[in-house]
Amino acid sequence: MIPTPVSDVDLAEVAGRFGFLLHAAGIPVSPERSGRFADAVALAVPAGLDGLYWLARVTLLSDHGQVAVFDRVFQQVFGGLVDLADHRGDRPEDPPPVHTRPGERRPGGDQDEHTRSASARPSPVPMTGRGDDDGPEQETILAAVSADERLRERDFASLDAAELRHLRRMLAELRFAPPPRRVRRTRRDRRGRRIDRRATLARAHRTAGEPVVTVRRRHRIRPRRLVLICDISGSMEPYARAYLQLLHAAVGATRAEAFVFATRLTRLTRSLQLRSPDQALRQAGRAAPDWSGGTRIAPAIAEFLDRYGRRGLARGAVVVIVSDGWEHGDPAELGEQMARLARLAHRVVWINPRAASPRFAPLVGGMAAAMPHIDAFVSGHSVAALDEVIDAIHA
Amino acid sequence: MSDLADALPSVEALAAQLAETGYLADEGLATALFCAVRLPQPLLLEGEAGVGKTEAAKTLAAVLDTPLIRLQCYEGIDAAEALYEWNYPRQLLGIRVAEAEGRTLAEDDLFTEDYLVGRPLLDALRHPGPRPAVLLIDEVDRADDEFEAMLFELLGEASVTVPELGTIRATVPPIVILTSNRTRDLHDALKRRCLYHWIDYPALERAVAIVRRRTDGGSESLATQVARAVTRLRTLELQKPPGIAEAINWTLACQLLGLDVLDEAGAARTIGSVLKYREDAEVAADRGLGWVVGEG
Repeated sequence: MIPTPVSDVDLAEVAGRFGFLLHAAGIPVSPERSGRFADAVALAVPAGLDGLYWLARVTLLSDHGQVAVFDRVFQQVFGGLVDLADHRGDRPEDPPPVHTRPGERRPGGDQDEHTRSASARPSPVPMTGRGDDDGPEQETILAAVSADERLRERDFASLDAAELRHLRRMLAELRFAPPPRRVRRTRRDRRGRRIDRRATLARAHRTAGEPVVTVRRRHRIRPRRLVLICDISGSMEPYARAYLQLLHAAVGATRAEAFVFATRLTRLTRSLQLRSPDQALRQAGRAAPDWSGGTRIAPAIAEFLDRYGRRGLARGAVVVIVSDGWEHGDPAELGEQMARLARLAHRVVWINPRAASPRFAPLVGGMAAAMPHIDAFVSGHSVAALDEVIDAIHA
Repeated sequence: MSDLADALPSVEALAAQLAETGYLADEGLATALFCAVRLPQPLLLEGEAGVGKTEAAKTLAAVLDTPLIRLQCYEGIDAAEALYEWNYPRQLLGIRVAEAEGRTLAEDDLFTEDYLVGRPLLDALRHPGPRPAVLLIDEVDRADDEFEAMLFELLGEASVTVPELGTIRATVPPIVILTSNRTRDLHDALKRRCLYHWIDYPALERAVAIVRRRTDGGSESLATQVARAVTRLRTLELQKPPGIAEAINWTLACQLLGLDVLDEAGAARTIGSVLKYREDAEVAADRGLGWVVGEG
């Protein structure tokens, strides 16, 4: 099956080139791993393609998620007797461009509620609440207040690209503070309960082996894990970019875990650590291409619980779900999955930007089914409204 | 090392020896273990719970006829629990004895290897050989980032540094196998130092063979029935699809109850050994236990 016997070609070069192709296809193969691959081939001398496949897979990959791409590249290179050089630069297709269309503008009316919310930032200028009512006379007034203040009350759905960029800076200042929990690690503390034998004995050496001073330790306190799960399906599209920035800010500030879903669930934590929110959003779009499709929230929550939550990610955590709750599936199923989530998590917060509307009432469908399992229900549709979110996470 | 090369000349030889010891590894896993032993390089095994990650390390140790040193990770595990601890009572005693004999004791005298209590990681390094010990670092994802960082020196250089003593190098570097259930992403720096293998649920024939092997004396028909039933259960939308460990437990439960054939009634009695969530049991019941055991 292999064009030439393995011993006849320069192993290092083949390994290096194959690694290069994998790298081009998006698998981070380091020269170190390629070297390991070459060593393994020399050691095991695979008789057939299967043997070579497993040697390559075991030495070059570092994650189960890479297997599909690896299989494709391997097939291309070794499957059809194809010359390596012909396939250099093979890349996964570029994702379709993602446009954020300015969403429908909502009349104000919720402004009073948010000027009330406790905040460390300067209180908003009352006029700015309807900043999107683009009248010429208003704009002159708005010019007088700072960009921050103007943005504070604006509904996320009404922001343009420049404002979204500005929003990123404002969100970076948010202070996420999930409630604390006691962890098993300890730190030195004079009034601690446990005796630190190592340190006590070290002191005892100074007093002729008599442990005069006992050094004590107590358990450290750490904030609970914060998990954000954001709906990026069609109905949430006007909000998606703003909330992606919220996810980005949370991941950066508190090592939160971030997920997005439309038709399927995608873990974004790592891409948000490495890339800008826009790039991460494009990646999410590639993974979940059905932007305008209906939302199926229950399966997404179920997938989260099965793949991550139950194994430990959601245990004792504060889980924040961002969604308008427009469930296309069976509402009862959403209720069931939310009950599972509530059993695992310390606290469940639901952000629903549509809740800002005075006409909104979570009486029917998915939202109603989810309500009994939610600890805090907030709108979080503007920077000012996010103060409520911060409070809900901290409570 | 030449001894190891003789013992494990090829991937096929390793697979055959694993099978002899009672573990049926497919080519992928055999390759991974072969590389871990012969390169040598730490191996990170991932896969669903109950797919045989821990068992693979145990069997490898049995094949190589070396001790298996196991470290179960948990949150907050630290150097004193994983690496070493000083023997405090003995140190105090040492001070008293020195006092009684009128000797003066320097601090260095108290921090020698005599007073060091080895924990699993240190034990693995101190293993005298001639063959390397198999060090199983189980469920490393349960430990925290700080612990991962502590492992780097061990994985990279096969040594640990005790501040009071200096660096302790392995006489024979252990074969290191790490397992993870993916409750969180492991650090790239850790993954970089390891080979990687994902253990899949085995195909039906292999599952039958594994179940038979692990439930010795079991009739082939029962093993086949159970393996088929588990395969069917895995097609349902379950919270926790049963793994090979559950298939083995199910067969053992049937044997204990004296069932030679897995029928609907028998399945109803023993389903608790396979499905561990009430919701999952309901899903299976809705689909029909007759269907699960292949009667419908």
